[in-house]
Amino acid sequence: MTDHLAPLNLEELAPEKPPSGPVLWIKENLASTWISAILSILAIALTAFSFRGAVQWLFAADRRWDAVIANMKLLAVQSYPEAQMMRVWVSVGIVFVLIAAILAWNRIGGKIAPRKLSKVLLTIGITLLLVGLLMPAGSEKWETLGNSLLWKIGGVLLLGIGVALTFLPDERRKAETIPIMGLVAVALFGIIGFLKTATMAFPIAGATLPEDPAERLFEPTRIADSTANPWTAIILAAMVTFVVMSWLRSRSSGDGASIKRVIISLIVASFPVIFLVILRDPAIDEDMLVKFVVTGAVFAILGAVAVRWFGAPGAGESRRALASIVTVLAFIMLTFPGILPIPGAVTPFTEPFLFRLLFLTFALFSLAAPTFGGAGSALTRYVIGWVGTAVVITYTIIIVTTESTVVVPGNFFIGGLGITFLLSITAISLSFPLGVLLALGRTSSMPLFRMMSTAYIELVRGVPLITWLIVAFVMLPVTLPPGIELSGIMRALIFMTLFSAAYLAENVRGGLQSIGKGQAEAAQALGLSTLQMTVFITLPQALRAVIPALVGQVIAIFKDTSLVTIVGLFDFLHIARAAINQQSRPYNFIGVFLEPLLFAAAVYWIFTFTVSRMSLRLEKKLGVGER
Amino acid sequence: MLKWLAQVGVLALVLLFFRILGGEAAKNFARSDISFGFDWLGDPPGFSIREGIDLQPNSGIRALAVGGLNTLRVAFSGIIAATILGTIIGVARLSKNFIVNKLAGFYIETIRNVPLLLQMFFWQVLLMAQSSLTEGDVGSRIFSVSNKGVASIWVFPSTGFWPWFLIFLGGVYLSRKVARKRRTYQEDTGENGHPGLFGILTLLGIALVGWLVHPLLGFLSILWDGIGDLIGAIPAATVSLLIAGAAIVAAVVWIKRFLDSKRTPAGLGKLTDDDIFRMIFAGVSALFVVWIAFKVGGAVIAKPDGTDASVAAVLRDSFANIFYWFGDKFTGEAGSPLSVSKPAIELRGTGGFVQYADTGILATVPFFSVWIAVTLYTASFIAEIIRGGILAVAKGQTEASQALGLRRGQYLRLVILPQAFRIILPPLGNQYLNLAKNTSLGTAVAFGEIVAVGATLINQTGQSLPIVIVWMAFYLILSLSLSGVVNYYNRRMALVER
Amino acid sequence: MSVANNKDVIVCEGVKKWFGDFQALKGIDAVVKEQEVVVVIGPSGSGKSTFIRCINRLEAHQEGTIIVDGIELTNDVRNIDKIRSEVGMVFQQFNLFPHLTILDNISLAPLWVRKQPRREAEEEAMALLERVGIPEQADKFPGQLSGGQQQRVAIARALAMKPKIMLFDEPTSALDPEMIKEVLDVMKELARSGMTMIVVTHEMGFAREVADRVLFFDYGLVVEEGTPAHFFDNPQHDRTKLFLSQIL
Repeated sequence: MTDHLAPLNLEELAPEKPPSGPVLWIKENLASTWISAILSILAIALTAFSFRGAVQWLFAADRRWDAVIANMKLLAVQSYPEAQMMRVWVSVGIVFVLIAAILAWNRIGGKIAPRKLSKVLLTIGITLLLVGLLMPAGSEKWETLGNSLLWKIGGVLLLGIGVALTFLPDERRKAETIPIMGLVAVALFGIIGFLKTATMAFPIAGATLPEDPAERLFEPTRIADSTANPWTAIILAAMVTFVVMSWLRSRSSGDGASIKRVIISLIVASFPVIFLVILRDPAIDEDMLVKFVVTGAVFAILGAVAVRWFGAPGAGESRRALASIVTVLAFIMLTFPGILPIPGAVTPFTEPFLFRLLFLTFALFSLAAPTFGGAGSALTRYVIGWVGTAVVITYTIIIVTTESTVVVPGNFFIGGLGITFLLSITAISLSFPLGVLLALGRTSSMPLFRMMSTAYIELVRGVPLITWLIVAFVMLPVTLPPGIELSGIMRALIFMTLFSAAYLAENVRGGLQSIGKGQAEAAQALGLSTLQMTVFITLPQALRAVIPALVGQVIAIFKDTSLVTIVGLFDFLHIARAAINQQSRPYNFIGVFLEPLLFAAAVYWIFTFTVSRMSLRLEKKLGVGER
Repeated sequence: MLKWLAQVGVLALVLLFFRILGGEAAKNFARSDISFGFDWLGDPPGFSIREGIDLQPNSGIRALAVGGLNTLRVAFSGIIAATILGTIIGVARLSKNFIVNKLAGFYIETIRNVPLLLQMFFWQVLLMAQSSLTEGDVGSRIFSVSNKGVASIWVFPSTGFWPWFLIFLGGVYLSRKVARKRRTYQEDTGENGHPGLFGILTLLGIALVGWLVHPLLGFLSILWDGIGDLIGAIPAATVSLLIAGAAIVAAVVWIKRFLDSKRTPAGLGKLTDDDIFRMIFAGVSALFVVWIAFKVGGAVIAKPDGTDASVAAVLRDSFANIFYWFGDKFTGEAGSPLSVSKPAIELRGTGGFVQYADTGILATVPFFSVWIAVTLYTASFIAEIIRGGILAVAKGQTEASQALGLRRGQYLRLVILPQAFRIILPPLGNQYLNLAKNTSLGTAVAFGEIVAVGATLINQTGQSLPIVIVWMAFYLILSLSLSGVVNYYNRRMALVER
Repeated sequence: MSVANNKDVIVCEGVKKWFGDFQALKGIDAVVKEQEVVVVIGPSGSGKSTFIRCINRLEAHQEGTIIVDGIELTNDVRNIDKIRSEVGMVFQQFNLFPHLTILDNISLAPLWVRKQPRREAEEEAMALLERVGIPEQADKFPGQLSGGQQQRVAIARALAMKPKIMLFDEPTSALDPEMIKEVLDVMKELARSGMTMIVVTHEMGFAREVADRVLFFDYGLVVEEGTPAHFFDNPQHDRTKLFLSQIL
């Protein structure tokens, strides 16, 4: 017999709510045991004490935030000429607009439930209110930012909205209805409003400075239009781009992958364009230009025919052997000028150098042609790839060779955060192919390649980066042939690239080793050659598997660029630490150490934290580490 | 065949590339009258170091040794502190307590997203902003912070430390034996044998007895000196011979083991090109070491006292000196082996120069900035490793232990930690290595570690290449010893799987 | 063999459990008598695993009472320890300790929880390995054993604590078909020896042959309860009929 029978209509049973409430929450999360309760009390006391201390310190009247505010431009681009600042703003604008475009195209944002939003608002609101309440006397000196009333009003406002949201009916509270990008837009309009109306405090120029900092004379100043207007324009442009791209996306059929690829290529291309063209503004010499263009064009056209010949289906081993000999020749020509009788010394970067560089690229393309060419359209695409590469190389050499019209006191056209970005982005992108090659070498079955790669990787990783930078500044100059001189930034760049390549190689190697044997066997069963298998099968999987490690490496390089401070380059950290506190005119900032350093720390933090969060999202999206 | 051609070709190109660079360098150096060599090792360096065992080193090698010891000092203390702090924060990050968990997360995210160099500058600036010592501060105290550094009370070895330490080591050995005995007793009878308690009591007892009787070991002084004399009497060439012999034996053993691993029941398996290359490489490496041993060992350098000696003889004498040093320490004098020393602030010189006396332990501003920065920075990475390691042990392991009735402390010790440790160890070793390398940033805050000293030496002598080689050798030995320890434990921890 | 007059060893009344907002158990009432074998079946997500995990407090229930052998499960750590040493559990994923040998896996808890002498604990462990039929594997590590062997070790490990009650949480679900039988045979032998057992399983043959009673779970409720004969041949509830028609 049946002992027990439940009601028949199971689906209609009303769901019960779990026991909840603040008391239960505290019991479970703060006081599950006696020790936990004591820890909670200690931790809350510690947090409260440090928070209060931090607010009191940050807004104290004798802080010198004016040292940071007055030197924003110095921190960002060092002594880039004031008259040419438009170039910087255009560059920043391009980056923002492209980022907005890719965000819109990827449908980033989505919606958030009022319940979650209310939690966020409550947290921010309470923080703002507390800051307002705890602000020390004298903070008014800092004008808008030190105005405790503004903080309190903002806090109460957000708190109010947060509390109001909790009164929504339960279903509406949980439904994801509020668009995140709408909130971002509100925040951005808030920033614009701040830029246009906020006032800051500056010491009055020329006034005699009393010993006691609190007695110094300050005057309220609006944010200069030269700063506020460009930022307003940039933010508006980014917002318009976002709206337009979202609209286009919603109308486009299919997954829009091709447009996404275009945007990504634009982002990739934007960095060299910004640094080499917009910011540097090369003054192109027409005679030189003709020479370069002719060299490039001849190579592109003749090379296309030759590459086609090398990659033609059924091309035998003999053509490949020929390509190998050409490659060795090209390598010797590029690396050892003077061995082969080609006129003209190879100082970077002149016409013979372009010739040799194109020749080597061509040789490599010929060598790899049978692997990637194949029949018909694949070969055509490969030949087009060669022409494109030749054009890009020619163009880059033209740009790099010509003098910059931006005349800057000192030896380099940009400094500060600009150098930090230039160094890290270039080092990352250049070290990536080198790192992959080294990883392939280290996992190769060919012993000499493996030995060389291993020796390189271990040698470079064996000693700290700073010793390599010292080598770059002490030893590199004496090992170069006469006529070749490298600027400090180039030397740092070369060694940062070589250094990070070794670390990247180890990350990629981890990925390569994680690929199962089955993949290789399947590829061999399909009749792919070893090189084809590596490029089309193994490598993409390996790279995908190590995305978290690669992003970690990117962050590490970004942080490591700060080491160039030690060898005297004027990067962001150097200006924050050593340049600002040397100023005595128009304002006296001598002895101001801590404020610029903390500001620099915050800037570094924002960038690295954002990147690491993005990588977490990417990881989740790709399901790395899951099967 | 084609494969080999390609490899040899690329190798030749690489070698040629370096040959050209080297040739240019040689030309440039010839023009500026600098020739690379190792004479500077014996020459007075012409600068002083701000802290370390010798502030006025009388030779280049001694200056580098002082720098190297400074690196080791800050790296070693940093590793210990970072491990403790990192473990605490990693465990806090796993805590169910909401606020403790969030605080640990806040620490990790703040510290590891800011460049280490910036953090070092921050601590340096913070310390420099502390009040300076004035005449009113003169006197002794337990702890003191000023713009001269951080001083604290500390325990130092004093007279009779080494004889006592010898007895103490014996005590450690004995107490482990006692503890093991008690453990077997417990397992045999089921009664609690208190193995830990017995072990500690034994150790304490022996340490206490040793405290009183350590002068009795004074006679060992003769023994130490005897060993020193014996080593000193060995002909210098023997040193080179020993190193060369060890290299050859190592290569032979390696090749033999390698061949054994290729042996199948059916006989020796087919050797690939790669396998043969590996064996040739091992042999060539050994021969290279032999060549270096005789070449460098036979080279004659000038000692600071003006006499010339071969490198091998110098090596032999420094080895013998270790024993003479021990001989000096076994005086047979009575006295407490450890002494507590409090920092004192004193007035020095006639001008009323206030500074810390030589008592207590003083972390100078550079030392403290480097130490605290690398400690906090590395701790944030160690915390993530510890957290990851514990999380990586399957949840089922905890549940199974709980279902068996094991208590939290028991299953953590017996089940979770042994498994987590295995996952944690390799990345932890990596972090230790990073920490050691990161101390080189100390050069930016004027801490006299090996890179800073080397850079100064390069400025003084122009001997860049030899000093870079010294750096490499130093960090290579450091990382080899660290990874040796890690590998040893890793092998002991390895799981047996099908 | 009738167990109807034996005393109650597990009494559950109105047991409720939530994971966040999701209610996994909606008020479970169940009684298990001494020496009884109760089989719990139901679709995945029906709350059956959560239910038996509440019995030895691997999950904490939020409302209702669970009384095991006269001891009520509360937050009191001493009660939990007492109950856990009387209730053995076998998991779907075996959860053997990979860093210990088979013998150490089995003797770990007797050594540390019951404070038995090592020789005695190891002798008992060997006896248990004989009972589950793999004494020759004693010095191997879990990674070297097949799934079926690992699960038999897991049963021996739970038995080493001399429990009064055994819980089985889908013990055969992670096994290859050819290994299921060797585990079920051990469980049948255990049931015949008079052990009180609660078994969550999809093995209907086992339920029909061994169970004294079958509980059918769905939507976090006990939908139907009865003897195997009755349950399989004459189910009452629509959900039960649907479920049985899908799997049989």
